[in-house]
Amino acid sequence: MKEAATAEHMPAVPEATFGSHEVRLSGRLWVLAIALIGGAFIGMPVAWQAAEHFRPTADYRIPYALSSDYWLFARYCQWVASQGQTFVVGDSVTWGQYVGADQTLPHCLNQLAGQDRFANMGMDGMHPAALAGLIHYYGRAISGRNVIVHCNLLWMSTKKHDLQVDKEFQFNHPALVPQFFPRIACYRAPYPQRLSIVVQRLVPLLGWTDHLRVAYFDQMTIPAWTIEHPYGDLLKAPIRGLPAPDRGPHQAPVPWTQAGLTEQDFPWVPLDTSFQWRSFRRALETLQARGNRLFVLVGPFNEHMLTPESLAAYVQRRDQVAAWLDEHSIPHYVAPALPSEDYADASHPLSEGYALLAQGLFNDQAFARFDSGRAALPRPDGGVR
Amino acid sequence: MLFHTWIFAAFFLIFYPVHLLLRRTPFMLPWLLLASYVFYGWWNPLYLVLVVYATVVNFLAVVLMEKTGWRKVWLAVSVVSSLGLLGFFKYAGFVTDNLNLLLSHLGASYRIPAPGFLLPVGISFFTFQGMSYTIDYYRGLVPRERSLIRFATYKAFFPQLVAGPIERSTSLLPQLQRAPTITRQDVTDGLSLFVVGLFKKAALADYLAIYADKVFNAPTQFHAPAILLAIFAFGWQIYFDFSGYTDMARGIARTMGFRLMLNFNNPYLATDLGDFWRRWHISLSTWFRDYVYIPLGGNRGGKLNTYKNMILTMLISGLWHGAAWTFVIWGALHAAGRVLTRELERAAFYRDKVPKIAKQMGVFAFVSFAWIFFRAHTLHDACTIVTRIFTTGWADPAFPMLALGLVLAVWVYEHVYESRYRWALALAPARVAIVVTMAVYLALFAGSGARPFIYFQF
Repeated sequence: MKEAATAEHMPAVPEATFGSHEVRLSGRLWVLAIALIGGAFIGMPVAWQAAEHFRPTADYRIPYALSSDYWLFARYCQWVASQGQTFVVGDSVTWGQYVGADQTLPHCLNQLAGQDRFANMGMDGMHPAALAGLIHYYGRAISGRNVIVHCNLLWMSTKKHDLQVDKEFQFNHPALVPQFFPRIACYRAPYPQRLSIVVQRLVPLLGWTDHLRVAYFDQMTIPAWTIEHPYGDLLKAPIRGLPAPDRGPHQAPVPWTQAGLTEQDFPWVPLDTSFQWRSFRRALETLQARGNRLFVLVGPFNEHMLTPESLAAYVQRRDQVAAWLDEHSIPHYVAPALPSEDYADASHPLSEGYALLAQGLFNDQAFARFDSGRAALPRPDGGVR
Repeated sequence: MLFHTWIFAAFFLIFYPVHLLLRRTPFMLPWLLLASYVFYGWWNPLYLVLVVYATVVNFLAVVLMEKTGWRKVWLAVSVVSSLGLLGFFKYAGFVTDNLNLLLSHLGASYRIPAPGFLLPVGISFFTFQGMSYTIDYYRGLVPRERSLIRFATYKAFFPQLVAGPIERSTSLLPQLQRAPTITRQDVTDGLSLFVVGLFKKAALADYLAIYADKVFNAPTQFHAPAILLAIFAFGWQIYFDFSGYTDMARGIARTMGFRLMLNFNNPYLATDLGDFWRRWHISLSTWFRDYVYIPLGGNRGGKLNTYKNMILTMLISGLWHGAAWTFVIWGALHAAGRVLTRELERAAFYRDKVPKIAKQMGVFAFVSFAWIFFRAHTLHDACTIVTRIFTTGWADPAFPMLALGLVLAVWVYEHVYESRYRWALALAPARVAIVVTMAVYLALFAGSGARPFIYFQF
């Protein structure tokens, strides 16, 4: 039986071969490689932005299919800012879910103004928690400008809309909501995925590659796209250009009473505990901190669709919102309910509804002051100059 | 946690600076052990119970071998305990399924309940790593490790814990016995290895997986060309996946001042099956050589005995990979392939006249055929796939040209690497260009989701 080896007889540590390839850089070569990579990572999105044809025409709205293309949103913000237009920010009510591009609220405002002064920044599904993230991470170009923010109280109508249920469900724009704090009970994405989302927000390159994926490769990763289009030319896809903006409505413009919708008894979330309302305020704070001149449009909610009890609760919350805006000297317009036949559902107007809404806005003195640039400018402490 | 995720990046950013500070202090090993347990426990904290149990058993077995002199007894305890652990978690379901099948054939109504517990990640790897220590001690190749902390760190060393390389105690323990020296070259080499591994995994393996999975998950919906290309894709997928993981593991360890063995050496350039296994999962094949093949008799006792030992070793190796008959068949095919190519190499014509490239293609084709049984969900699926190769006609396989181009590029690179033109790959502009290209490709093309590594299931 062999004796156990002593430490003196311990075999020397064998030298492991580096690898089965020659991709082995020295310190200096790594510095060079990192510089080249850094240059490419910075240069590619910039070069792309210069080469990509993006000239929004009248009544432009981000194509519905690109509702999660936040890089494009950021680019559109830069364009709108360069044109000196007023940003009209909100969800699909602003975007115009049930109307054509020439029937939306911003279009109607432009018609009344006699010139293209209002830009449609609406994006489908942009609930306040997502809107706050969108503005914070992708709306940096919205700085020192006039901004109309739409407040859709639908997002506070139930605990589920308010993201306050425990049971996990798929809500819109999870990549824009807070990933770690405050905790959203129904948001159960694994931590690696959340970390990945945070990194993507902070690294412009990743936002750009996501833009490529969403805009040019059918929302698939490029490898997955090549599986679906095995003989497709990768280079041709970008040359096609961005998808054309939707000219027509995304959904058939049918009044809610003809669409089979019935009276609803929404269990409205109290405003002081509403996560979406807190998020909406955060969005306003971010815009104010960037020196923007704000105007808030509240509603118009489809009050005809509410039971009497639900209507009373809605009115209470609407008034609380208005009171808060008054308290913080943020000019606003609480839109009265439109005629019943001018609604497609609980919150989306039809074409006539938008025209009435725009007219109401234009007739409002606070809006007139805002539009003419005479609205009170916010102080950083929330007061008024 | 997976190496190619932000979570691991965050973990390493915390671990590494502290490691640099502590590496010349007595706290290096406790810190490394803690980090390793956090790494492993991230999958499931309960797994830590297993690795601690296995650590204590192997450690104590050697202590008792030394103290009592009953070397064979305690070696047997260690081996049985290690294999028992592996058998319990990995093979209980397999045994149960087959016993139930037998009961069914015998007409019995009773069925043994399915075990229903998860296979802990990396159990096959750390079990074998621990066994190598106790067997090497028994053979007098390694002294007893005095420190339980050091031994536990050797067993749980996070870069290689869950999917190898299976490091021998003679290699890794001495490195843990002294303060690791970290030179600039260690950092640059580690980074180089990691980047290449990351590219192999995220850009190549995960890409090929999309096509391979599509076909293997529903083979009856595809014709021969798609099936053949799916086999081709899987063969390269598993290579990139596993070697990519190993490259990352070696790279990480290298930046920490530790050297792990080379585990893959361009296996698809092999000219026979023996050569293949000297290039593929080298740490496992050498483990089986040293602890199964040689103890069985190795190549002593004539040709028939050698082949018998080779076949047994390959069958056990197949079973190590998975608890299913498909893996046994895979092992059997490789055993047959080894015997066949060994016999062919005896023939002067084959050995001297057949071009090397033809041998390489032949080995690749054979290995690819064997991969069918490795990848298929069931034996029935494997048979379906084999049948459909020969019975279905032409249909557009719709295999992406980009994937084909990438694989071809790698294959050409490997050939040049092992040719007299290797010097061209070593030129600085070539190396830098490849790294920059890989980084840009990863940024543009790699998907956002991190697939787990294939070998984690073993």
